[in-house]
Order: sequence, then C-alpha cells, then structure tokens
Amino acid sequence: MDFQVIGANIAKIMSQYWRVFLLEGLSVTLELTFISVLLGVVLGTVVAMLKMSRFKLIRFLVSVYVEVIRGTPILLQLYIFVFALPGLVTFVKLNYFTWTAIALCINSSAYVSEVIRSGIQAVDRGQTEAARSLGLSSGQTMLRIVLPQAVKNILPALGNEFIMMLKETSLASTFFVGDLMTSYATVRGTTYLGFECLVIVGCIYLCITYPLSKLVGLMEKRMSGDTSYRKRNINRKRKLLNKM
Amino acid sequence: MKKFLCMMLALTMTATLLAGCGAAPADGIQTVTEGKLTVATSPDFAPMEFVDASKEGQDKFVGFDVSLAKYIAQELGLELVVTPMSFDACQTAVAMGSVDMSLSGFSWTEARAENYNLSDYYNTGNEDAQVLITLAANGDKFADAGNVEGLKVGVQTASLQEQITTEQLPNAEKVVFVDLTTALMQLRNGDFDCMAVAEGNASSIIANNPDVALTGYNFYVDPKYTGNVVMMQKGADELLTKVNEILAQAVEQDLYQQWYEEAKALASSGSEVSYDDSGNVAQ
Repeated sequence: MDFQVIGANIAKIMSQYWRVFLLEGLSVTLELTFISVLLGVVLGTVVAMLKMSRFKLIRFLVSVYVEVIRGTPILLQLYIFVFALPGLVTFVKLNYFTWTAIALCINSSAYVSEVIRSGIQAVDRGQTEAARSLGLSSGQTMLRIVLPQAVKNILPALGNEFIMMLKETSLASTFFVGDLMTSYATVRGTTYLGFECLVIVGCIYLCITYPLSKLVGLMEKRMSGDTSYRKRNINRKRKLLNKM
Repeated sequence: MKKFLCMMLALTMTATLLAGCGAAPADGIQTVTEGKLTVATSPDFAPMEFVDASKEGQDKFVGFDVSLAKYIAQELGLELVVTPMSFDACQTAVAMGSVDMSLSGFSWTEARAENYNLSDYYNTGNEDAQVLITLAANGDKFADAGNVEGLKVGVQTASLQEQITTEQLPNAEKVVFVDLTTALMQLRNGDFDCMAVAEGNASSIIANNPDVALTGYNFYVDPKYTGNVVMMQKGADELLTKVNEILAQAVEQDLYQQWYEEAKALASSGSEVSYDDSGNVAQ
C-alpha cells in the first residue's frame, strides 16, 4: 500500500467532495442521532416506568418489547421498519429517513429504558422508605426524592447511548438516508477509491465521538459526588491513613 | 394469559385489515405512489448508476439506468422518483412491493427469474464482456486463468460473475465479496489473485486505480447474460408487458448508446461536467 498515493487521493477527494461528507453526511448523521436519542429518552422513560408497574401483564408486555428489540440486530429492525411496516401502516406515507429515525428511536428506547430503570433502582431503598414514612406520596417520592438522585447515574449512561447511536446510525446507510456512511458509499461509487473514503469518514466520526466521550467522562466525575460508593470508600481509606 | 392472547389476536386482525385496504385496483398501472414511478437503485456503481455530488435532490442520481428509468417513467406518463438503497435492499424492496421496480445493473440469473418478474434485456453498449482484473504488478500471469493452479478469484455474492466463474473456472477457489470497492482492498491484501467484473466496471476501476489492470482473460458470456434486466415484483405482469414495450421502443430509437456515452463521460470527469439547456452533456 502506497501511503503517498493514498494521501494525495484523500486530498483530491476532499477538495471535490467535502460538501458531501461535511455538509450532507455529518449533518444528517447528527440529525438522526439527536432525533433518535431524544425521542428514545422520552419513550424509554415511559417504558422504564411501565416496567416497574404494579400490573403483571404490563410488566410482561414491556419486557417482551425490550427483549425483542435488544435481542435482534438493528439492521434487521431497520429492514422491517422500512419495508414491512409501510405495508401495514398504509394511512401514512413516510419517507425512508422518517422510518429509519422511528426504528432507531424505538431501538434506543429499549436500551434507554434499561439505563433509566437500573438508575432508579440503584437509589438506596432507604430513601424511598424514609420519604414515605415522612408522609410523601409515592408520586412525590419518585419525582422529588428518587429521580433527582437517579439522574446522577442516568445522565452519563445516556451520554454513552448518544455516542453508541451516533455510530449505529451508519447502518441506516443501507437505505441511503444521507448519513456519513451514505456519503462514503456514494463517493466511493463514483471514484472507486474505497480506502481513502473510509479514512475520511473514520476521521469525521472520531472527531465527533472523541470529544463526546471525554465530555461523558467529565460528567461522570462531576456527578459522582461524595455519595458514590467508590469515593466514600476512598475517603474512608484516606482518613484511616491520616490517623495512622 | 387469555387477555394477552385476545389482544394479540385483535392486533393481527387489525393488521390484516389495514394491509387489505392498501391496493385499490384501478385501470392502467397501479404504482406504489399514485402518479409516480418509484425506482430503487444502488447508486454506487458507476457508470450504471451513481451520484453527481454537485447536484441536489433527484437530479443528483445519474447514470445509464437512471436515464432509462426516466425514459420508462416518461413513457408510462408517470413522474420518476429514484429511491437510493444498497444493492441487496433493492431486491428486498421490490419483493416487498415498497417500490415499483429496480434498475441497478441487474443481470439475468435463474434464481432471480424464479422470484421476480424480469424484463427483456437491455444492452448498455459494447462493454458487456466479463473480465478478470488483477494487480498491475502481476502482469499477464493470469492471462490463461483456466490453467493456473490454486487460483483464487473474487466474485460478488449472488452475481452473474459468481455463476460464470463457477462454470468456466471450475478449478479456481471462489472468494465471495459484497461490493466492488471493498473487493479492491481485498485484492490488494492478497485475499484473492483476481476478481471477476463486468468490463464497464473494470474500466472505471482501472481509470481511478493505476495499480489495477486487466489480466487479459475474458469469460465466455452467453448472449442471454450480456444485458441487464429491470426487476419487478412477481405478479406485476401488466407492468412487465408495458416495460418490455418501452424497452423495445428505446432500441428502435437507438437511445442506449447515447445514454451510455453520457454516463461514462460523467463518471470519468466527476462533477466537472457541464450541461446545456436541454440537459445534455455540453461538448
């Protein structure tokens, strides 16, 4: 492999097709990610609440939903949403972008619901017991006591979900929705320079995901205040050391 | 559990009802969207179909198949909507009835003919030959590919090339790939010695990749394989008849050669091609 030629080719491709990568590809990828994660969080919260419902039937149905979605590949779900569902839902006409966005959003909702559920269940049971014994209703307890503490566990995990989704939108390129991998497919289709296009697209993905994952790391540090088990332990050890 | 079963039953019934009310028969040709001809294509296959990055919207899809699709739509009195998707997805889309037809450089194969309505052949000009390409460094080592021991040939999955390689190079080991560009990387990595491609694609590849060259080996191609076909859903017989009529008409008017030359000129010059007012390539 001649790296000089590859470098020259990358420059050539970028000078001619930078619009396709940066203006179209990147913006559609970000758009798709934002839509699917935002709606995924809303839907995921509902799913998480339903999963902690009192009724067995609802819990069962919701866990079927979560298991089916988490247990099948995204690409398969995309195919079903794009090709099979429009045949059933004939009263609305949606384009492929919307269908893939819906599929990704539903996919994301299943993952997010688990993140939220585990975040809520990680809050010490004593908090709920204390709040209830002080006379707060179960709704108030959830809203004022449990959720604010759960957010600390949930937010960093949601950041990770965003990064995951950003990469997973690449599968939507099967339907040429215009995301970064679609740009790759179209440019390499005309230039027949596959490796160079991959390098370009890879760099763009990395430029977005690396700062994001740093941000999530920072968020994790900030959020885990003194109450986190790990920090508490470290502090305890430090105090012990000081005494000695 | 009973409740759940009831609900599932109700859901299925609604679904069937909804599916049933989709297609109301009308005279003339029933399309997915009324007044429009939806055509699936995989625009990563210059010069048959590819994207002109300097254009926006529907105009950016260009190539021989797109010109033909435009012609078919025009003759049917419909508006063309090109729906881009990957090559495998094109076939699924036709099978599921999400699109009216697919023009994506499909060759005739027996398996396809069994599961789809395939049109008559249309020819893209004089580059229907199927060839073997290899790294230029190999010289003419594979010119007599039939007699090379332990030869590895890359072929695209479910393609015509896979079929003719099996038939005509029975001693060679076949390595299946999904798309041409990835295959080029595999060729460079030494996953296989040669790859079987259509001559039109070979010249596009060689123009952009000086390290790749023809081996000098040509497959024998049965006349029925030389052309491409339009793929339609099984059972869309009325549409098939109309499309065949239109294809015959295009042959009569001798349009293929002109479309192909335009597509090739566009493919080799990227976005630098300019157009005159009637949409033809300016000289």
